Amino acid sequence: MSDIKERSPNQLMLFGIIGGLLGIYLTYLLPLAGEITGGKIEEVLNTIAPVAGALGAICAVMWGADAVRRVAKYGLGTGVPSIGQIAMGMGIIAAMFGLAIVQTNILAGPIVALVTASIIGFIIGWFAQNVIKMKIPVMIRCMTEIAASGTLIIIGFSAAVAGNFEFANIVELVFDNGVMLAVFWVGAVAMLHPFNACLGPDEKQKRLLYLAGSTGAITMAVIGIAAIMTLGASGVLTLVLGIVLWVIFYKKFWDEVYNDASCVVGTGLIPKMEA
Amino acid sequence: MVAIDPALLTNILLIGLSGTLICLAVHFIPVGGAPAAMAQATGIGTGTVELAAGSGLVGLITASYMYAYEPLADIPLVMAAGAMGSMVMLASTMFAGSLIYAYGVAVPFASAQVKKDPITGDRQDTYISKGTQGQGLPTICYVSGVVGAALGGAGGGLIYFVLMDLYKPYLALTSAFAVAGVFTMGVMYVNSVIPSYGVGGTIEGIHDPKFRRVVGKDVITSFFVSILCGLLAVLIAGGMSV
Amino acid sequence: MVLDLTMSMAILALMGALATIAGCLEDLESDVGSQSNPNSQVQLAPQMGFLHRIYNKAISGEPISNGMSAVIGGTVTTVLLSQKFYPLTAIVIGAFIAAIILGIFATTSFAGRVASQTRFKQPLYMDIMRYTTPSIIAHNFIMNFCLVAIAYIQFEILGYPFTIPFLALIWGISVGAIGSSVGDVHYGGEREFQNREFGCGLNTALSGRIVRKAESGLRNSIDNVWFCAKYGGPATGIALGLTVFFSSWPTTIFGYTWKAIGVGVLIVAVLTIMNRLVELNVRHAYGPYKEEKNETEAKA
Repeated sequence: MSDIKERSPNQLMLFGIIGGLLGIYLTYLLPLAGEITGGKIEEVLNTIAPVAGALGAICAVMWGADAVRRVAKYGLGTGVPSIGQIAMGMGIIAAMFGLAIVQTNILAGPIVALVTASIIGFIIGWFAQNVIKMKIPVMIRCMTEIAASGTLIIIGFSAAVAGNFEFANIVELVFDNGVMLAVFWVGAVAMLHPFNACLGPDEKQKRLLYLAGSTGAITMAVIGIAAIMTLGASGVLTLVLGIVLWVIFYKKFWDEVYNDASCVVGTGLIPKMEA
Repeated sequence: MVAIDPALLTNILLIGLSGTLICLAVHFIPVGGAPAAMAQATGIGTGTVELAAGSGLVGLITASYMYAYEPLADIPLVMAAGAMGSMVMLASTMFAGSLIYAYGVAVPFASAQVKKDPITGDRQDTYISKGTQGQGLPTICYVSGVVGAALGGAGGGLIYFVLMDLYKPYLALTSAFAVAGVFTMGVMYVNSVIPSYGVGGTIEGIHDPKFRRVVGKDVITSFFVSILCGLLAVLIAGGMSV
Repeated sequence: MVLDLTMSMAILALMGALATIAGCLEDLESDVGSQSNPNSQVQLAPQMGFLHRIYNKAISGEPISNGMSAVIGGTVTTVLLSQKFYPLTAIVIGAFIAAIILGIFATTSFAGRVASQTRFKQPLYMDIMRYTTPSIIAHNFIMNFCLVAIAYIQFEILGYPFTIPFLALIWGISVGAIGSSVGDVHYGGEREFQNREFGCGLNTALSGRIVRKAESGLRNSIDNVWFCAKYGGPATGIALGLTVFFSSWPTTIFGYTWKAIGVGVLIVAVLTIMNRLVELNVRHAYGPYKEEKNETEAKA
């Protein structure tokens, strides 16, 4: 990410979908590969599998944050938070539906959830545009994208806590102890915070994407703490990797801030700028 | 596709109804947004989504407590418990807000949308300070807010009851509480944001002319989306039954 | 857990006290970071040419950010409780970690927003960042502690069906919504525009003209929170305390019956009447705005 021109929405959508789904499926496939090889490698693969889910979710966070940016730039009237809330509301309903309905075909779960979320997002976006008449050109597309990224975030982080995305597993390890609320809420804030924090006329996409990576990494660290309770060693790995990623993205964010801000001073009086 | 069972259909319709109640609640609660926080507009100085969802969730706590400890609780009792919790939260919030407007900022309460308060008959327009669109919480806004909170809490209680009945046969009790609670939260947020788009972020309550203009299309959207959510909820139960 | 009436009332009183403290600290935390609605004025000021030294924290609104710190606190507490930590230690550590995370979000918000106001030449004051952020973390820590403690009491002792993170999240959202409605008015309607005449709403023509010069020197957020702690904070505390106490009191005394619901409705009616009394008191004490007698304000 070193060029000045912005990443296109399609690039980020592909990044979010492919990265997210890859991470989610690795949580299921790596232990399968481990079963085949057996021995020490199996243990290692079993430990690192849930971490992939969290990494995939970070990709989805960056995609979602950019989608929020595109739609909020038009001035939503009620603020940025509400679109994030509706996205996560749709995301969690679609995630629960997708993972539960597939019953024995476990592998189809995330795809079904993604498709369902996109459909609900499309319907709500259509209603918002044509019935409630919000008159925002990108509303339908962005609402679909936000709902879809919301679902991937939820499934990714839940898989990081539960070990894989089987619904019975998730109910037992993520819903029962209340960690699902942390996934839901901190994931929502991770998606919303970047645009809200960079609000202003000189907002730059690069800074926003670094901040999205940073908030995603914080969510990963919190999920790691929860995963210590449910999974043990994988949780420690998720926590440590989350903190490392946070340091990297946070430092990059601050570099952009020093670059972009008018001036960064240790202290000082207010400059004489008034008319 | 499973045969259309009347009980299933009733569940879906009830979930649709609960979403509609939550949507209606948002129209009743007087919210002025950022200007109200600066005594520039009538109403509570926060966002529509947050207040409606917040009071609905407090209602959910009281409704779930009632459901868990009263084995003979029927739908009206759980809905009433949700309504009570929600009303208490909004009443306390609005009362404390009134104290601040009255003694901290020192402004009389006045609405910019009506000449006289429909409930008390007090004159409103001479009490609006210069350059603002009203300030504070006149009685009509307060009563409208309390009614709205009751609707929101009742809606939350209703969907919680229906979901518990749907999921209890398939999950351990604690899991059922959690799954039903999270799903309720999702539906509550979806149904709070849709009307907030419709009202454009601020509404003074039932006396606001905007109310009559937007309530129709918001309710239709909400009902349709909630029916969809109800369908998904029922299918999740079907998925869990195998 | 089945408790006798005295014990239930004692626990309820404790929850009410914790909620009052949580409400007060939540509002003060949003004042020291200048969050939510009054922050729109802080955001607007550089655009109108009024550069300032106020912390510009915007974490998607108070309910969301307080919900986030409460749920993180609740989750970490649950993890520690499962490792058999003593409850008080678990709650303290959970609240602390959540507060640190909120502090991180606050720094990114301040830096990000100021960096997006380059064209207005608003400087990013690192000393404001350095000494206000710990204050934000401290306020948030106390609030988290109280909310997670309420959630713990409700889950473990009173036997609510929802788990600690869920209850903490709901109270976090509620305290955010309450703080945004109650305390922020004191900050936005009074302290931010304190150099204007007392006793009127904010004239739209004054948007962005926040107070930037203080009693002695330049105003910053610590000055603001000092003022708001005298009224805005405690009022928010009262609101949340009343909510937590009265939402559980009827069912504790009268059981899970329609009688309890009736008592709850009665409480709401009493609050409505009290609001009416305040309204009447204020109308008589202040009177109408005389210059408005013959004109009506245009409405949206």
